[in-house]
Amino acid sequence: MSDIILGIGDYGASKNPGSMVKTYALGSCVAVTMYDPILHLAGMVHVALPESKINRAKSEECPGYFADLGVPLLFDEMVRLGCQRKGRGLIVKMLGGASVMAGNDTFNIGKRNVLAVKKILWTLGMGPVAEDVGANHSRTVSLYADSGLVTVSCPGRGQWQI
Amino acid sequence: MESRITFENVREAIEKLPMLSPNVSRLLQIMADEDYELDDVVNIVKYDAALTAKVLKAVNSPVFGLLNPVTSLDRAISYLGKWIVVSIILSDSTGDLFSRPLAGYEGQQNALWRHDLFAAFSSSEVARYAKQSFEKELAFTAGLLHDIGKYVFAPFWKQASGEALGRIEEGSVADYLAAERVLAGLDHAQVGYEMARYWEFPEPLQQAILYHHTPEQAPERFRALAYAAHLGDMCAMMAGCDTGNDGMQYQLDNGYIEYFELTSESLAQILLETEIQFKQAISSLSLEEEVDK
Repeated sequence: MSDIILGIGDYGASKNPGSMVKTYALGSCVAVTMYDPILHLAGMVHVALPESKINRAKSEECPGYFADLGVPLLFDEMVRLGCQRKGRGLIVKMLGGASVMAGNDTFNIGKRNVLAVKKILWTLGMGPVAEDVGANHSRTVSLYADSGLVTVSCPGRGQWQI
Repeated sequence: MESRITFENVREAIEKLPMLSPNVSRLLQIMADEDYELDDVVNIVKYDAALTAKVLKAVNSPVFGLLNPVTSLDRAISYLGKWIVVSIILSDSTGDLFSRPLAGYEGQQNALWRHDLFAAFSSSEVARYAKQSFEKELAFTAGLLHDIGKYVFAPFWKQASGEALGRIEEGSVADYLAAERVLAGLDHAQVGYEMARYWEFPEPLQQAILYHHTPEQAPERFRALAYAAHLGDMCAMMAGCDTGNDGMQYQLDNGYIEYFELTSESLAQILLETEIQFKQAISSLSLEEEVDK
């Protein structure tokens, strides 16, 4: 239908009534959701790594893969679809960034992703009003265009909202 | 306790197993083309864990009497020759070994296949950072096969799995592997090892399967390979390619530091490179519509 399903490194937004933007199984990846309650405009990006500088070619091919490029691109898309340029009234949430158990600093990519997302949101003058990050489990995230509701689910743990 | 599983239960289940390939139809299509090359077959077989297992089992079976086990698929197929490989494929039935939903893990259809494929590429990439000489091809195969035990274990595990996450949360067990052992009496790595032995996989692969969560316990000469499979498994879970309710629920064994030179930057490169190869493989195998959830 008009639902948008995002893979790793994808971003997208929808204001079609009854639609949702969804991404599956965030492990150490982070999803940032943006919602404009006046326009009922729902957007999300699924980032996998903090910084694009590790691979320029890939960053040109799939900028949404990296927090430093993907989050601004999502915001640009929201503006293109009618959101105010300064992002006024935009509801931002972040989810994911899980870690493997007993993970050391090297393997804590989830935490680095969360920090990178917060940093880039800060430079855009935004901050998340809610977050569900860290811990040791994956998250499947849906954002509904009609209500702005963000639901999270994980096998064996059920479904919840933030 | 009813939910406990014995090795006898496992052996009975293994003896009933056919070797199944999720790519049989794709392979049949290629072979229907008169002009197909051996390389075309190799390119499909190498991404199919079950068929890889079958080819390796065939080349290492007593009938060939090889002095040294063949662990590389390219060598195995070259040795066996096109027609034997074709015979293996044709004798295969419709495959669900890696596509069947994993009941006890709440794993979706094809979840094991996606997980294993991602782990295979990751293990192979990790192997590039080895501190000592290391066979990349073997790391790929170990990554591809590391979780085969879940196929046999999942139906048994269904009875006890409901308690696993709770036990981990309350801290009474260290991780999911320990929960399997406590609640079921054995774990999926042990079951995988039994399968690998039954199919007469080369010993390094048997050991990598057995120790992919506990590589520090592997015999020294197989330890680097077990770590490669372990780290590949971790990368797959981090990338969201898990097999269900056990995702991210295993302990990282930090002993890898002795065998691999990994930094946060090189790990990011590994994940990035793996993602690219994984997507290419999924596309080239025409499985996109099947595996896309």
